[in-house]
Amino acid sequence: MSLLTVSNLTKRYSRGGKTLAAVDDVSFHMEPGETLALAGPSGSGKSTIARLVLRLIEPDGGRIEFEGDDFLTLRGAPLRARRGRLQMVFQDPLAAFNPRATVARVLDDPLRIHGVASRSERPRRIAALLERVGLAADLAPRAIHEISGGQRQRVAIARAIATKPSLIVLDEAVSALDVSVRGQILSLLLDLQRQERIAYLFISHDLGVVRAVAHRVILLDAGQIAESGDARAVIDAPQSAIGKALVAAAPKLNRNRP
Amino acid sequence: MSRLRRFLRTPEALAGAILLAVLFAMALSASLLFPGDPQAIAGPALLPPFQNWSLPLGTDRLGRDVLVELFHGARTSLAVGLAAAATALVIGAVVGTLAGFAGGLVDEVLMRITDAFQTVPGFLLALAFVSVVGPSLGVVVVAIALGTWTGPARIARAEVLSIRERDYVAGARVIGMHPLEIAFREVLPNALPPVLAMSSVIVAAAILTEAALSFLGLGDPNRVTWGGMIAEGRTVLRTAPFLSIVPGIALLLTVLGVYLAGEGIVETTAVRRGLS
Repeated sequence: MSLLTVSNLTKRYSRGGKTLAAVDDVSFHMEPGETLALAGPSGSGKSTIARLVLRLIEPDGGRIEFEGDDFLTLRGAPLRARRGRLQMVFQDPLAAFNPRATVARVLDDPLRIHGVASRSERPRRIAALLERVGLAADLAPRAIHEISGGQRQRVAIARAIATKPSLIVLDEAVSALDVSVRGQILSLLLDLQRQERIAYLFISHDLGVVRAVAHRVILLDAGQIAESGDARAVIDAPQSAIGKALVAAAPKLNRNRP
Repeated sequence: MSRLRRFLRTPEALAGAILLAVLFAMALSASLLFPGDPQAIAGPALLPPFQNWSLPLGTDRLGRDVLVELFHGARTSLAVGLAAAATALVIGAVVGTLAGFAGGLVDEVLMRITDAFQTVPGFLLALAFVSVVGPSLGVVVVAIALGTWTGPARIARAEVLSIRERDYVAGARVIGMHPLEIAFREVLPNALPPVLAMSSVIVAAAILTEAALSFLGLGDPNRVTWGGMIAEGRTVLRTAPFLSIVPGIALLLTVLGVYLAGEGIVETTAVRRGLS
């Protein structure tokens, strides 16, 4: 059984009387524990797909099946309950948290909402989550704006894994981090994937990172799938015009290759 | 601490804070310094100020001590001003948050109601409400709030419209938070600063409205109010102008104090946010 099956997904925006398809008839599927990358230039619709899959926006057409259920027909409380299985990590770890929040509150919310742990048990769970993502447990009372960007992204990952999801959407999750921190966060993500069999929908414009972490890749152009397949194969020898352009725009790839 | 120091370094803010502190001291000490009924007769009628040092500000038409009335009036003015402003801010923040966050039909309905309230002059609304329901302190508070909640509601809505597109609101939805919890726990607290910046103007306006209502005889008849004192003095304005002038000056200083202190708070918090 596939973990996620997206069929004929379409999302249109109308701007100035003209309709523009941000996502145009996109279909793909994901297996448990796999990393699927969505890559493409800005405006290619990769973030829109992420938001559609997360039900942050509603599609104009198509189907999304998640863990065997029609995900698009869920509403209200059943949808909120199911959200624990499908999490997200945002690009900017500062914008992703309420500016007034503390680390403890950020991690407490999912545990409370999904009834993962009782009130008395939660502080212990929060400490365990922090340790799981490589942070000290005494970070809990700190305010979000007091900790570093790398620590914040670790907290975001801790929040995402708090409800034991089967799929995490990583929307440019490492793009805003500086290079040394990026490597650490990526290895943390791979580590979590190995141990918990979490699937990642990895959205990125950085083909170097995609090649390093993704199993499969989908290259998007103007809302449509231009090319898809094994991540290394596609990036090493792109067939589509947009694939060639993207690879050509990242010259460091060739230098890094052994 | 540095914020307090910066606040106190601005001369206007300091002046406002001192005026407010004196007002609060008057309001709090009124029953300690002058226990008993402030409307009791204390001496000969229409005694001018600074004549008899046991009645330093003189007496009114019925021989009531003006100083005692002034102290007790401070309580009413302050209580009504703060309570009405708080009510207006709470109603405004809640309506604005719901309208901005829910969008669609809810937004339309709530904002048309806001429009309807805004097109009626606030003072007329308060006047009509008090004359229908009857004057008492609580009614006066509600009446003033009815005319002033629309400003905070509009500002809260505008702020919420920008906040609801932020990532952390999407993040709250992703973790399955209930929309009402998102609206009131994640969005509202972050939309409050510009709404609270209005509070000094609203408190000042509320104090003036209360005085105006009392002046027209629509204040709580069981309480001394400055507006009521001015109205009382009006009949003898030519022979004993101090009866209107004394509470008038108190009113002026209060509104000035509230406004200056409020501006000072807004200024210092704005500087703080600009620096961080």
